[in-house]
Amino acid sequence: METKLLTEFYHLDEFRTLAGYKKHGGYETLKKALKMQPQQITDEVKASGLRGRGGAGFPTGMKWGFLPKNNEPRYLLCNADEGEPGTFKDRLMMERAPHQLIEGMIISGYAIGSKKGYIYIRGEYFYPISVVQEALKEAYAAGLLGKNIMGSGLDFDLDVYSGAGAYICGEETGMISSLEGLKGQPKLKPPFPAVQGYLRKPTIVNNVETLAAVVPIIKDGAAAYKKFGTEKSAGTKLFSLSGNVVRPGNYEVNLAYPLKDLIYGLGGGMRPGRKLKAVIPGGSSAPVLTAEEAERATMDYECLAGMGSMLGSGAVIVIDDSQCMVDMLGVLTHFYHHESCGQCTPCREGTGWLNKVVHSILEGRGRLQDIELLLKVADNMKGRTICALSDAAALPVLSFVTKFRDEFEFYVREGRSKVRGVRHAEMHH
Amino acid sequence: MPKCTINGKEVEVKDGTTIIEAMYGKDGEWPEGKVAHYCWHPGLSVAGVCRLCMVEIEGNPRLQIACNTMVTEGMKINNTSEKVKDAAKWGLDFHLINHPLDCPICDQAGECGLQDQYMEFGKYNPEMAEKKVKKHKVVDLGPTVVLDTERCILCSRCVRFTDEVSKTNELGIFNRGDRSEIGTFDGVPLDNKYSLNTVDICPVGALTSKDFRFRQRVWYLKDAETVCNGCSTGCNVKVYFNREGFFRVKPAYNPDVNGYWMCDEGRDLYKFVNRENRWLKAKKRTYNGIEEMMPGAAAKDASFAVKSLGDSVALVLTGQYSVEEYESIVSTFANDLKSKRIYHWISNPEKANDFDGLLLRGDKNPNTKGLQQVLQKHGVNTNWADLLSAISSGAIQTVVVAGPENQAVYADMKDKIRDLSKAKNLIWLQTGRNHDLEALTGNVWLIPMKSYVEKDGTFVNHAGLAQKFKKTTTVVSEALTLTEASDLLAGKQLVIKPETNVFVESEKPADRVTVEHRKKNEFVFRRGTL
Amino acid sequence: MSVVQKNTSEASKWYLPGIMTGMGITFRHLVSNLVDNLTGKKKMITLNYPEEKHEYSPRFKGNHVLTVKKDGSLRCTACMLCATNCPAECITIVASEHEDPTVEKYPVKYEIDILRCVFCGFCEEACPVDAVRMGPEWQTPGLNGANFNYGIEHLAYRPQLKGGIATHVDDEERHKAGI
Repeated sequence: METKLLTEFYHLDEFRTLAGYKKHGGYETLKKALKMQPQQITDEVKASGLRGRGGAGFPTGMKWGFLPKNNEPRYLLCNADEGEPGTFKDRLMMERAPHQLIEGMIISGYAIGSKKGYIYIRGEYFYPISVVQEALKEAYAAGLLGKNIMGSGLDFDLDVYSGAGAYICGEETGMISSLEGLKGQPKLKPPFPAVQGYLRKPTIVNNVETLAAVVPIIKDGAAAYKKFGTEKSAGTKLFSLSGNVVRPGNYEVNLAYPLKDLIYGLGGGMRPGRKLKAVIPGGSSAPVLTAEEAERATMDYECLAGMGSMLGSGAVIVIDDSQCMVDMLGVLTHFYHHESCGQCTPCREGTGWLNKVVHSILEGRGRLQDIELLLKVADNMKGRTICALSDAAALPVLSFVTKFRDEFEFYVREGRSKVRGVRHAEMHH
Repeated sequence: MPKCTINGKEVEVKDGTTIIEAMYGKDGEWPEGKVAHYCWHPGLSVAGVCRLCMVEIEGNPRLQIACNTMVTEGMKINNTSEKVKDAAKWGLDFHLINHPLDCPICDQAGECGLQDQYMEFGKYNPEMAEKKVKKHKVVDLGPTVVLDTERCILCSRCVRFTDEVSKTNELGIFNRGDRSEIGTFDGVPLDNKYSLNTVDICPVGALTSKDFRFRQRVWYLKDAETVCNGCSTGCNVKVYFNREGFFRVKPAYNPDVNGYWMCDEGRDLYKFVNRENRWLKAKKRTYNGIEEMMPGAAAKDASFAVKSLGDSVALVLTGQYSVEEYESIVSTFANDLKSKRIYHWISNPEKANDFDGLLLRGDKNPNTKGLQQVLQKHGVNTNWADLLSAISSGAIQTVVVAGPENQAVYADMKDKIRDLSKAKNLIWLQTGRNHDLEALTGNVWLIPMKSYVEKDGTFVNHAGLAQKFKKTTTVVSEALTLTEASDLLAGKQLVIKPETNVFVESEKPADRVTVEHRKKNEFVFRRGTL
Repeated sequence: MSVVQKNTSEASKWYLPGIMTGMGITFRHLVSNLVDNLTGKKKMITLNYPEEKHEYSPRFKGNHVLTVKKDGSLRCTACMLCATNCPAECITIVASEHEDPTVEKYPVKYEIDILRCVFCGFCEEACPVDAVRMGPEWQTPGLNGANFNYGIEHLAYRPQLKGGIATHVDDEERHKAGI
């Protein structure tokens, strides 16, 4: 059963417009929030247990608390880069309810004392960019943005910034670099963005869903939000279900929803004659789960972390027994090799190395020691770089090779896929 | 002033020091242990991209990079454990997997960061069996630098240099991932007055100097520190040489004068020191023709035109000799020859106070201040016009000129030679060859001098800082220093200081006969382990 | 030390029998060698040079050979490892930039002073690209005033080498293999 906290009215076309949004209670929460003190809003968000919905899962209220308590101008950046393969929830939110995001951003901006916000949307999202820009125009015209919002004395400006095709610009400091006009390369942390971010000023970077979730938290209170999910993973989340399921799409459910129900219930289950083999629960960077693990998993941060995986961005990629795991790993390593920014050496060279080894296995030239080599290289890429792309590239390799080692060994020995029976080149004409 | 423990030793550092700065020591001695690094440079900002300077900090399960972690009170730092060595080895491995097998043709062999680190904690069997990434080679970056993008390890030191030090922003990193390449923008070559510093700071052979390319292997070169004599800044430099001559000049660190850098002009200064540009024998021209003789003999021969002539002998000095030499020759002239006609040849007074903001100054003489101090001490106060009028009136019979070593910056050389040759006797003391001088007629003595790298001395730079430098080697052994020339010209006998150590100390026990070390193989066998 | 007289009989002190015995041994060898030679059973180890020459092993360290690439140009990249390793310091190399960027570095002058060379083979061991080898020839005759500083012309292209010995390390194949 879906819990439509955010997505209740997404099926209505008019929800996109300001009038339609206001008809269903839009911007009432903003009115309520402007009567509260900024610190109250931050406390409310902290109490609700909201965690970052973009992938890292960092407690949002705590992140807001890291800002210095001085008069420095600070910035609120909305990370709508959505580069994680398998994730398409933010696209839905921006296409269907841009005003929800805008309202969330104004409230958040008020809470952290920011006067300027940016929505960084990836360049490939032409349609969402135009929808959000249209919504911003409406908001400005109605006095909901700009100077003296709703007569409360609050000034807040929002702008859309379009990316240009780099996954690395979804990393918070990579995004900040890109916004500053530099090459989208992550910066060294420390200093953290909350202390020195965009233009060396305190900056908060949050995901689209996180900022939109501020609206129901303020509207109904933290306690109501905590009713969904568990103590440590509170609230609802949009999961982007894709892969070998009958009904792929975005589903909003409460956290700690059983993964089994998500796939077989809401997702419609496997295609006729197919069995579940593996599930990637949180975007391609999350370690893969075997079918047996997927049967036991619940979609919250703790359970998946305990299984050695992560909730991540909530992109559930379902893999049935018609897929070759070696082939899938080839797709992933190709992606990370292409997207590495090239700044630090382990990631720059390691992603290329992993990609080359996997592809040489796929072409039938694999050697027996290549499997151990993949594990060694991936192990030594983890934890040694400026940003987490290196870990994101290494974790799938480690999990695929460890959990589906028989397929890799078969491919190396026989020169063809165990599942498909043919070589990679013949799989994709 | 937080106290921390590095490899078991307690160290106190200033606030805001990073771990790598704390371990670097005052001048790169690494007193507590060496930290492998490529992208960090003490004169540039922190990039943190090579990931080689990993250290273990107690209480932190993950290894941290030393270049960006501030030292806090009570921090316990360790970089000798197995975990750190393994991390460094893998960091090096990642650098090497796409590095081309260019050691035979790469200039950096022998002083290459990758070679050094491999010998220190690498020595593993490489496991990379895939094709390496191919990029552009022998890219012409500008008039002085050649780039090889395959060898580049993308440490970004050169990019940070052009951004922060020379502030010309010519270099950038193009593309992303392992297709990244250093490059310049269209129509903007790497052409500023400090571009060869990028060749120095490049840890591998990606950036090479067109001037030095392929001329010599670095293990055949010895180096010695001295002071540049290109301008009045007096940057500290290291000159590289062997028996065949001098090959290149690199900056040496001096926090008060030049920091870590030097200008490109100073790098050419080794050229006029080499034998092919020097006078090897003295020339005496009389109505009989040209007679060649040893410099000492020529000076003795010319002394008849100098001594006991009192005021009709003039001395012209350029600001390119050491303070000790000036002291000697000026006091000889003032006291022994009783002549106050000492003139200072200033070649470009209108540009003398130019300063480009970083290192280059308009006064291209290293020791103008030193000369002025010595002249002041002896109460010499003359101007150039008097000299010319005295020559033409015949009041001055003999002119002794201490000519410039660096003739390229003396644009008025031809004119001055013409003016000064009007005197009856001309004694010209100089290191390098000059066609105009050799073509002069009349009573001319051309005596070769020792260059600034062949003698001990002191230069006083524009700010009054006196810098001592030592002799590096000898190129023309018969040439004279100004001190010796002044003694001989005044008719005195040369005093040869006995060498304190004629025979080189060897490690043979005392009962063996001490013979001079075979210096023949010194250049080759000093290289260390292969 | 003890001195033991072996043969103390009176007969052994006579002069002539001893001489006769010795000469008999020599004569016996002479006859047997002659007979063997005539009947074809070769037991003498003396070679009748220059008709018969000793066969050296393929690892024999003789005169140096500078190998050439497929197109006939010198393989040597002037890395100077051979000159550095040489214990007699007999190799002189001057490097220069090649117009072809794939070649990049090549020796303009490569001289071995053959009178100094001790034929140790260190240069062959040191070379990373199989550019210098010690070949099977060992004759280095020259009259007084002959030039014993062998240059590239002699080391790589002397007539006995028939246009140049090809090297085993080919850069083109290496680049194609992606190393």
